[in-house]
Amino acid sequence: MSSNDYLPEDSAPLPPKDAEVLTTCCDYCIVACGYKVYRWPTSMPNGGPRANQNAFGVDFPTHALQPWVAPTQHNRVMHKGQPHRVVILPDREAKVVNKGGDSSIRGGCIAQKLYNPDTPTRDRLMTPLMRINGLLQPVSWELALEVAAAVARHVIREHGANAYSVKTYSYQYIENTYAIKKFALRHIKTAAFTFHDTPSNVTSTPGFRDAGFDNFAPAYSDWQEAETLLIAGTDPYETKTTLFTQFIKPAIDAGQRTIWLNPRETAGLAYAKSHGNAIHFQLYPGTDSLVLGAIARIILENGWEDQEWINAWVNNRWESSSGFGQGTRNTPWQWRTTWSKFQTDGVYGEQGYKSWLMVQPEYEPEEAARIAGVSAADIHTAAEWLARPRADGSRPKSSFGIEKGFYWSNNTGNTNAISALAIICGAGGRPGQMIGRFGGHQRGGAGGGSYPRNRSPEKLPGRRRRALDTDRWLVSGHTRFAHVIGTTWIQSMCGSGGLNAKFEELVSHNPNQIRSHDREQIITTLKARADSGGMVVINQEIYLRDPIGSKYADIIFPAATWGEEDFTRANGERRLRLYSKFYDAPGSAKPDWWIIAQLARRMGFEGFDWQDANEVCEESARFSRSSRKSYQMIMVAAHAEGKTLHQKLRELGTEGIQGPTYYNYETGELHGSVRLHDTTLTEADLSRKYGSNGFQRGNVVNKKVTHFNTQTGKQNIQKHPWSLFSDYWHWMQPRDSELWHTNGRINEVWQSGFDDLLRRPYIAQRFPENWVEIHPQDAAARGIESGDQVVLYSNRIPNHVNTIKGVGSEDFQFSELLKRGHIELSEGAVTAVAIVTSAIKKGVLFSYFLDPRQPGNILQGRVVDSVSGNYNYKIGVAKVKKIGESKHKQGFRTFSFAPRNIV
Amino acid sequence: MADSAQKEDQGRCTLNRREFLLYGGTAAVAVSTISLSLFSGSARARVVGYPRQWIARLSQLTDHQLLNFRYPNEQAQSFLVKMGGVQAGGGLGLEHDVVAFSYICTHQGGSLKGGYKAVGEHRVMGQCPLHLSTYDLTRHGIIVSGQAYQSLPQVVLELEGDDIYASGVMGLLHGYHDNLPSRGKP
Repeated sequence: MSSNDYLPEDSAPLPPKDAEVLTTCCDYCIVACGYKVYRWPTSMPNGGPRANQNAFGVDFPTHALQPWVAPTQHNRVMHKGQPHRVVILPDREAKVVNKGGDSSIRGGCIAQKLYNPDTPTRDRLMTPLMRINGLLQPVSWELALEVAAAVARHVIREHGANAYSVKTYSYQYIENTYAIKKFALRHIKTAAFTFHDTPSNVTSTPGFRDAGFDNFAPAYSDWQEAETLLIAGTDPYETKTTLFTQFIKPAIDAGQRTIWLNPRETAGLAYAKSHGNAIHFQLYPGTDSLVLGAIARIILENGWEDQEWINAWVNNRWESSSGFGQGTRNTPWQWRTTWSKFQTDGVYGEQGYKSWLMVQPEYEPEEAARIAGVSAADIHTAAEWLARPRADGSRPKSSFGIEKGFYWSNNTGNTNAISALAIICGAGGRPGQMIGRFGGHQRGGAGGGSYPRNRSPEKLPGRRRRALDTDRWLVSGHTRFAHVIGTTWIQSMCGSGGLNAKFEELVSHNPNQIRSHDREQIITTLKARADSGGMVVINQEIYLRDPIGSKYADIIFPAATWGEEDFTRANGERRLRLYSKFYDAPGSAKPDWWIIAQLARRMGFEGFDWQDANEVCEESARFSRSSRKSYQMIMVAAHAEGKTLHQKLRELGTEGIQGPTYYNYETGELHGSVRLHDTTLTEADLSRKYGSNGFQRGNVVNKKVTHFNTQTGKQNIQKHPWSLFSDYWHWMQPRDSELWHTNGRINEVWQSGFDDLLRRPYIAQRFPENWVEIHPQDAAARGIESGDQVVLYSNRIPNHVNTIKGVGSEDFQFSELLKRGHIELSEGAVTAVAIVTSAIKKGVLFSYFLDPRQPGNILQGRVVDSVSGNYNYKIGVAKVKKIGESKHKQGFRTFSFAPRNIV
Repeated sequence: MADSAQKEDQGRCTLNRREFLLYGGTAAVAVSTISLSLFSGSARARVVGYPRQWIARLSQLTDHQLLNFRYPNEQAQSFLVKMGGVQAGGGLGLEHDVVAFSYICTHQGGSLKGGYKAVGEHRVMGQCPLHLSTYDLTRHGIIVSGQAYQSLPQVVLELEGDDIYASGVMGLLHGYHDNLPSRGKP
């Protein structure tokens, strides 16, 4: 039955004994569980319930943790032009990640993602489209590519490379991102290049980078091995499910202490609290660094810090200033630390971290607790749990995991503060004592070219240039060609109302619109658009997205995605796997690497003649050598065995291999890396990986494998001055009837809603529209009950509008920008269904971060972190009022207003 | 409400019981108050193939006391509960608060026994001990938070006088490839 509604089925087909089996991994969260795809032609009978009748070799009915097929795990697809059934199940043979076949709800239902015209996926883009006479009309690949290439060449020639802006996903497979970066950065060389989640191509976690920590250094097992685990800005149960259920939950059951910084209490957090082993700092958005600084202060006051570690692994006065060949003036760390705002002489001494921390009034525990809205007693307990040596002198093993609720609320300050805390606790380089991101998207980026920072007109006071803020660049009218790949750009950025208005002005309101089917006329029209100060938009996508595709794109290229091409990607512990193609892409949809290659060739660029995805992957391999997921040596091993890189990866199945990889030319063995910064690795361990005589031939051993990413290979401990952020925070603090408005992901929804919210009936029934959690007292004061339709609105949305060069030291401080007229305030409103729950802190509203129907980012300030250039997406305010009752309030079919923290 | 629904439904019992529960929204409340006599003769036809099984007497139910039973076969563990006056989709009785569900989590088959929770106006089953899924018993067993691949299968109930009968299951029971394995076979 064809329906967008969820209809519970009471049977599901079993794969027959002879079904083909292919391996892949989940397309969604960074944990990347291993999956098996069972495929058989519809002409073949389904499997039966007896062990000798089905692919699992078991009798049905089965029992807990045994093979089972839910109706949502089955689909019908075309494979080589013939109808097939597929059943996609977590890999029960998995010995890593989702050991024994665990899964999240997202991966569990991933079969629903596949294109099937009988399901809500029927609106997949299947042919190139061009907006002619205001309508998106199907056109040939040839016409679409010729027009795009001709206009692109013109824009670059007439208006410069920076007029060609590329906004792309960072994660959607190595083959694609390599092609995109090679095109944009090596050939076009545009500084107006960035990823889906940030206005400029900058590091997501500046504090980690400067301390020397890789975002994904830990192994998943480190989160389990820790005795105390601090989790900031996320509940991994909600967003990294299998990391929680396979690694953290068993640890909590065995007595692991957890410390959480989160304005909200969700299922994983509630589970930890129910064991009596958890501290929940239910803080106001943006105040994390205060709590962490106060914890660090108590540790240092009591002498609980790991002095042995500090002596061996933390840069002292001389090391902090040493260049070691590269020169400190040329490290990202130094670009950010001018004027000694962050730099210390190590932990101790007059200019040491400790001396600084002890005199900062806001890090005094009572004061920090007051501002953050948490208990000072808990701050003391947390310090004890993290660092207080036991009676026998041994120390607790502490690890630190962060995610966006944390690093997108005070980007530089929070990441500096947690790095400092981790360092004094002795974390970063030993099993069970690590620091890292819990992670968002899987790691599918590949280095196809380096970012041309010197071409960026953006410069901060006293420092080298910073990557261009592509949103402000566009708002300032400099972008003449917007090439948007697999992201909505507009709603996914902050203060999205202003950005949308600018798109409308530059694209829709420009008089030069395509009215002809003649190729030359079309090209002339679009050139005239760009030359008249307008903007041309092309979009590579799998669905028509609103508004980037539906309203603005002049040309849309249909993309092939997961399951429709062989792709490669790494997960949150750098585990590289092949994501097999197992069915036909819809219509004439093509993988993004192919689309880019076609465009590039028509623009006159060389080196885009790949025949298949493996060729792209092999070409990219050498550029991975210094990265955390270096896969160059998998290719070396593959070639030694007479295989291609993709063939070798396929052979490695769902277990894959953890980067960086090494090839031992003596034994012919391929080796991976359990963790980075592993200070416990011995010479013997290393020579086993790459041979007895030091690393040879293709093997590259980056400093970060055994040391840290710094000028010396030791950790930098940095200050985290609250004053760099406090002017913004205090200005933003709710006034009158405003409440904090923050946002985040939820367990059931991953991909910005294009799969889950819009095309997976079971999930769409659970979350049929945008919602907002509100504390019972805040709700009562406004007459709001669960299920009421409310509007969230604000006229105090700050938008930084000009591309400027910083000269004076305070030029990029929010208060200074405000004073100088670079901040415009805008209005915004978004509707939602209220969920009244004490799971959210009083005074704070929490929404899903990107409901495509009612995108809440319109309320979040479009002002970047003054040091890093990232948005602080989690910081916003809103008023909320009831506008009626939603149909979900009285109905029984959709939504659930039950709190997520019932245990 | 019951009266109007009664009039409407008499004579055109083509829509099956499961569809009522699913599509009905608030109407489901009305429908579930109608005694089975209204549908006499067509009850079995509406939930094709499922056995009709006596479960309990409505008058003997105690709030929040779970009644265990096996349905639709001798292995399938299910429970019936009167949820203290909180209305539920498919709920029976004057307060529409009597519902029945499978005990087995539809993620990986964990047993939800002991997981019933009544917190304020909320009626939740879980967390499942395996991977912490919770289900909303007032909304056809929809996932509240967790990893399940579908809602908790709801046992369709019918009321005949004071007698409660099970007459179908919405959703595939964990471990089964078909709730009625012999369906379609001679």
